[in-house]
Amino acid sequence: MKSTSPQNPNPLKKKLASRFLKAMKKLSHKISSSPSPPSTAERRRRHRAVRAAAYASMASAVGPRRAWSRALLRKLRSKATATSGRKTARRNPRNIGTRFLGLNELCDVVPGGKAMDSCSLLSETGHYIKCLRAQVQIMREILDSSSSSSSSRIL
Amino acid sequence: MSSRRARASRLTEDELNNLIFKLHASLPHHSNSTSDKKTSAAKILKRTCNYIKKLQKEVDDLSDGLSQALASGDINAADADTITTFLQL
Repeated sequence: MKSTSPQNPNPLKKKLASRFLKAMKKLSHKISSSPSPPSTAERRRRHRAVRAAAYASMASAVGPRRAWSRALLRKLRSKATATSGRKTARRNPRNIGTRFLGLNELCDVVPGGKAMDSCSLLSETGHYIKCLRAQVQIMREILDSSSSSSSSRIL
Repeated sequence: MSSRRARASRLTEDELNNLIFKLHASLPHHSNSTSDKKTSAAKILKRTCNYIKKLQKEVDDLSDGLSQALASGDINAADADTITTFLQL
């Protein structure tokens, strides 16, 4: 695992951050256009929107290079076009199950994991973890900076 | 067909273990003393699952916080560049 000091900007993190910030910008415009105090349903909708933006920016920053990001992109696109049919290509789930039981659980949490063979699943997992970690860091930093700084600094 | 599968499993048996132990390096280490050779592949996989679930939960919680911050106007996302430099990226 590459350890990057805060001075050295991680290129992946940079990409993730810029995409996520763009998505947040879009969301903030949407939210500001409805100034009334949000209902619980509206708050839940916004929460889901931010979360979707997080995963969407993760997937698009990585692009089609990785199986997990491809699977995420597919899922997000199908949600956008609101197709209900779900074609899960279950290739060799038994092959994974006979080896290690843990792999069964793993393929459930990694996007697209069910369609991967054991080797791919393991290498995809490593990359997925790396991206998830970076995404969490970014979101935390944004949240921290927003709460600690006054809006005048950003303006 | 089955012979092909058996051949494939024999080839990647060690590779699988290597990949799993590589994965271990991506996980946050809890106690350096007990682990190393004692950590079995199954344990590593279990820890990996839990770690991913934990990270996904964090994304969820942070999304909640961020959506509320957006709503309360704490984030003036009109200038993403400012935030970018602010984050020292």
